[in-house]
Amino acid sequence: MTTPLLDVQDLRTVFDTKEGTVKAVDGVSFQLEAGETLGIVGESGCGKSVTALSIMRLQRPGRIVSGKVQLKGRDITKVSDAEMREIRGQEIAMIFQDPMTSMNPVFRTGWQVAEPLLLHQGLTKVKAMARAVGLLGKVGIPAPATRAQDYPHQFSGGMRQRAMIAMGLTTAPQVLIADEPTTALDVTIQAQILDLLRNVNKEFGTATILITHNLGVVAGMCERTIVMYAGKIVESGPTTEVFAHPKHPYTWSLLRSMPRLDDELHQPLNAIEGLPPSLVDLPSGCAFHPRCQFKIERCSRDVPRLNLVGDNQLAACWVTQGGAELKRG
Amino acid sequence: MLDPTSLPEIELPGSPFEGDTSRPAQSFWNESWERLRANRIGVAAGVLILILALIAIAAPIFSLVLTHFDPTRQHLIDNFRPPGHPYLLGTDELGRDTLTRLIYGGRVTLGVASLTVVLSLTLGTTVGLLAGYYGRWLDDLLMRIVDVFLAIPAIFLFILMSILFRPNAFTLAAIIASVGWGGVARLVRGEVLSVKQRDFILATRSVGAKDLRLIVRHLLPNVLPILIVAASLGVGQIILIEAALDFLGLGIQPPTPSWGNMLTNAESYFFHSGWLVVFPGVTIFITVLASNLFGNAVRDAFDPRLK
Repeated sequence: MTTPLLDVQDLRTVFDTKEGTVKAVDGVSFQLEAGETLGIVGESGCGKSVTALSIMRLQRPGRIVSGKVQLKGRDITKVSDAEMREIRGQEIAMIFQDPMTSMNPVFRTGWQVAEPLLLHQGLTKVKAMARAVGLLGKVGIPAPATRAQDYPHQFSGGMRQRAMIAMGLTTAPQVLIADEPTTALDVTIQAQILDLLRNVNKEFGTATILITHNLGVVAGMCERTIVMYAGKIVESGPTTEVFAHPKHPYTWSLLRSMPRLDDELHQPLNAIEGLPPSLVDLPSGCAFHPRCQFKIERCSRDVPRLNLVGDNQLAACWVTQGGAELKRG
Repeated sequence: MLDPTSLPEIELPGSPFEGDTSRPAQSFWNESWERLRANRIGVAAGVLILILALIAIAAPIFSLVLTHFDPTRQHLIDNFRPPGHPYLLGTDELGRDTLTRLIYGGRVTLGVASLTVVLSLTLGTTVGLLAGYYGRWLDDLLMRIVDVFLAIPAIFLFILMSILFRPNAFTLAAIIASVGWGGVARLVRGEVLSVKQRDFILATRSVGAKDLRLIVRHLLPNVLPILIVAASLGVGQIILIEAALDFLGLGIQPPTPSWGNMLTNAESYFFHSGWLVVFPGVTIFITVLASNLFGNAVRDAFDPRLK
C-alpha cells in the first residue's frame, strides 16, 4: 500500500481557557489521497476549522497535544517553524470563510496574490505580478491585468474568494484546505466558486479538503465525507454511502434536518433538538447521546469507538455497531 | 491548464462605470488625501505650519536679508526699543532683536516638537506592535511598563530629567517623548489586537510569512492611519509643553532663543515693554492653534474609526 498524501493520526488540539481545557480536536484520524476531494461536515464549534488549522500548525492559541500529521510520510507536527513556513503556501494552501476580511485592505489585490511567490520562490516583483495576473485570469477575474491593480474593497465577495483561490494556487500546492469557502457568499456565487474549486481539483490535481456545514455542497463536491461532532469524527466513508445509509444518528439527524422540495407544504423542519455540548464539559459516554433519538442505556456510559460498519464506512455508535439500520423514529 | 473560457464569469452589477476598466484605483490613502484637501480650515492650518517650518529652516537667510541681526548679538544701547525701524518687532532688555529671535526660536521649538513626535511614535509603535502581536507575557510586561510611565506625574519627571541631563534640543525631545510614548503604545496595541483578529493575518500566515513580515508589511500599514492622527494631534500639545518647560527654565537654556524662554524674562517687563510678551505669546498661540486645527482635519480624513 502506498503512503497517502496526507495522513492525520490521532490529532488532539486543546485550548486552555479560564473555564478549563477545551478539547477542540479530540483524536481525529483520516487520510487524504492525491487528487482527492474530502468533505468535513458538522455543526459550528465541532472542531472542523481547528482540525484544518492544526494541520497548518496555525491553531494558536490552541496547542497540539498529541498526534501526527504526515505529509508524504513526513510528520509536519515535528518540523521546525522555518520548515513549516516553507510547507505553508508551497505544499498546503488554505482558503478562508470570509473573503471580506481575508484580504489585507491596504494592498493591491495582485500584490497579495503574488505574495507567496515573493516569499517562496524568490521571483522578481514583475515576474511574480505577471504570474499573479495569469492566475487571476484563470480563476475567472475579468480584465485581470487591470483588476490586479485594484484594492480588495473594489472586489465583490465572490471575486475576492476567487482571488484567494488564485493566491492559494500560485505555488501549485498539493493540498488545498477550503474552510467554509462559500458560507459568506450568496447562492449563485456559491455555485460558481464550487465549480471553480472542482475545476482546480481536476486541472491542477490538487487534493482538496472542503470544510463546510452545508451538506448539499459535500454531496455535490466530495468523494469522501467525514462527519465531526464535539471534536471527534463520528462517521466517515464514501459520500454516497454516508448519505444513503448514515450509520451514526448525528449524520442521520443532519440529513433529516435538511429542507426538501418534495416535502409536504408547511411540514415543520426536523431540527436536531438542543445544542452541541460545551467542549469543556462533555457528556459521559457518547457526546451525542443527550440529543440522540436512538440512544440505548450503554450510550451514556461508554465512549463508542470508530468501527467499520460497511465496506469503507466507519461510524462511532453503539446502536449501529450491532448492524441496526437507522429508521425514522 | 485551466481554460478561462470554461469558467463562469462574474456578473458585475450594472453601473455607469461598466466596461470602463481604466478608472484609477482609489486606495485608502488617496481617499483620505482627497477628504483632507476638501477641508479648507485644515488646509489653511497645514499651509501656515508649513510656512512657519520653512521660515524656521531658512532662519539664517531671513536674519541676513530681512532683519540684518544676529539672534544672540546684544545691542545694549538699543535695549527696550519698541517695534519700528530697524528693530521690526522691538528689542529686549539686552537689545537683542525680537523678530530674529522669534525666527531662530521657531527652529528650536518646531525642531524639538518634530523630534519628540518621531521619538515617541517610534518607541510607542514598536512597543505597541510587539505587545499586541505577541500577546501573553510580553504584552503584560510591556503594558505594565507603560502603566508605570503613565503613572509618573509628568512635571516631576521633567524637573528631574532637566536636572540630570543638561537640556538641549535632543535631550529635551527625549524627555518629552519619554512621557508621550506610553499613550502611543497603548493606542497601537489596541489597534493591533483588533487588526490581528482579521482573517487576512491568518491568511498571510497560511502562505508562510514570517512574524517580522506580518508585523512590518501587514500590521504596520493598517495602524498607520491612527499613527498619523496621533502625530498631528500631538504636535500642538508638545509645543505647549516645550514652551512651558523653557519658560520655567527647565528647557532650552539662554542665550539660545526659544519661544518659551523668550517669555521668561519678558514677564518682568510686561508693563513697560509689552511687545516682549505679546510677540512670542501670539506666535505660540497661533502655532498651537494651527497644529490642533490641522490635527483635527487629519483625524477627520484619516481615522478609520470615524467612517
